[in-house]
Amino acid sequence: MDSSFALAPVWAHTRAVTIELVREPNFTDSELIERVADGDRPAFEELYRRYARAVLGLALRRLGDRGRAEDAAQDAFVAIWRSARTYDSDRGTGAPWLYAVARNAITDGLRRSPEPAAELEDRPGGGPDPADRAESAWTAWRVHRALEVLPPHERPVIELAYWRGLSQSEIAESLGIPLGTVKTRTRSALARLADALEEELP
Amino acid sequence: MSERGPDFDDLVGSDLGPGERERLLRVHELLVAAGPPPELPSGLAVPPAREPTRLVRRRRRVALVALAAAFGLAAFAAGFLIADRGDQRGTFRVVAMTGTAEAPGASASLEVFDVDAAGNWPMEISVEGLGPSASGRPYELWLTSKGRLAALCGSFLPEPDGTAVVPMNAPYKLKEFDGWVVVEEGTTAPILTTT
Repeated sequence: MDSSFALAPVWAHTRAVTIELVREPNFTDSELIERVADGDRPAFEELYRRYARAVLGLALRRLGDRGRAEDAAQDAFVAIWRSARTYDSDRGTGAPWLYAVARNAITDGLRRSPEPAAELEDRPGGGPDPADRAESAWTAWRVHRALEVLPPHERPVIELAYWRGLSQSEIAESLGIPLGTVKTRTRSALARLADALEEELP
Repeated sequence: MSERGPDFDDLVGSDLGPGERERLLRVHELLVAAGPPPELPSGLAVPPAREPTRLVRRRRRVALVALAAAFGLAAFAAGFLIADRGDQRGTFRVVAMTGTAEAPGASASLEVFDVDAAGNWPMEISVEGLGPSASGRPYELWLTSKGRLAALCGSFLPEPDGTAVVPMNAPYKLKEFDGWVVVEEGTTAPILTTT
């Protein structure tokens, strides 16, 4: 049989790609994915800016090893590039779709790699169950994505308070700003995160 | 700071309304649960190119298998011919897949979308009636050539109800292949084939 039986028309189906620059910083994730589907590189770069740390965090959680996680994060973004056309905004917002594509790509990397992974088989009686792990990974994904909405002057107060263990006074001293400003920025940052988590993510 | 994170009331003060306090408390709990995001190394400072060479090279590994003749060129051709020709926007073909004796109740529909500017073929496989593999390992979708597994398109795990809807990709020239099969990871026995 002629192997070109059904594939010859493929080349006739290739569509022209329209490249548009992302000029608005306020595109939703869904809008960016749809632009990526049309070959919009700046839209992809904006998605990357928003999700790079979340994807790397997910890969680290799954693989444990930093080097392998960095490779997997790259693979995940390549998968996002390739899969963008399959995204249907009627079926959900962008974040869960991105999470699913990234997780699948990371799992592919896990399967291809011979080294033991940080998060592998279910072990009876040991560690959190798969549902808890999945919930934990999804929570981290959402929060790490939401952190990207914080302006540069608010983000440090959150990171120093939550992950460096500094008190409000220590943060004020560390950043060289008044204590009242630290409190104002902290509250503002938490409100901004609440908005992001409520509006952009399900 | 304790494992529960910084003291919430210290952070936000005591003059918040109950609704706003509850809203920010939820964020506080999520921040504590999520932990810190990783810092990006210099190697990830910029987005990857669409087709990293190492990825393509890795996916070109070829696994030799003995597939039955029924799963060869004729099956692939028939799959295209009887498939929905797909007037739906962006869909190039929808290919039917059926379960082999390994999974007689299983079926799948493989939607192949229009080739993109870089020559990739985005796809989505929708599976029904497929239980978990005996080993618990994922299933894999492969392109076949001359009775061999030739190119990996992706992997998936079915939901408890036997369904799965998973994006896949074929960064290859499809005319170099003659069909698709689903196998259990690490095996070569077809579970689903193009019919």
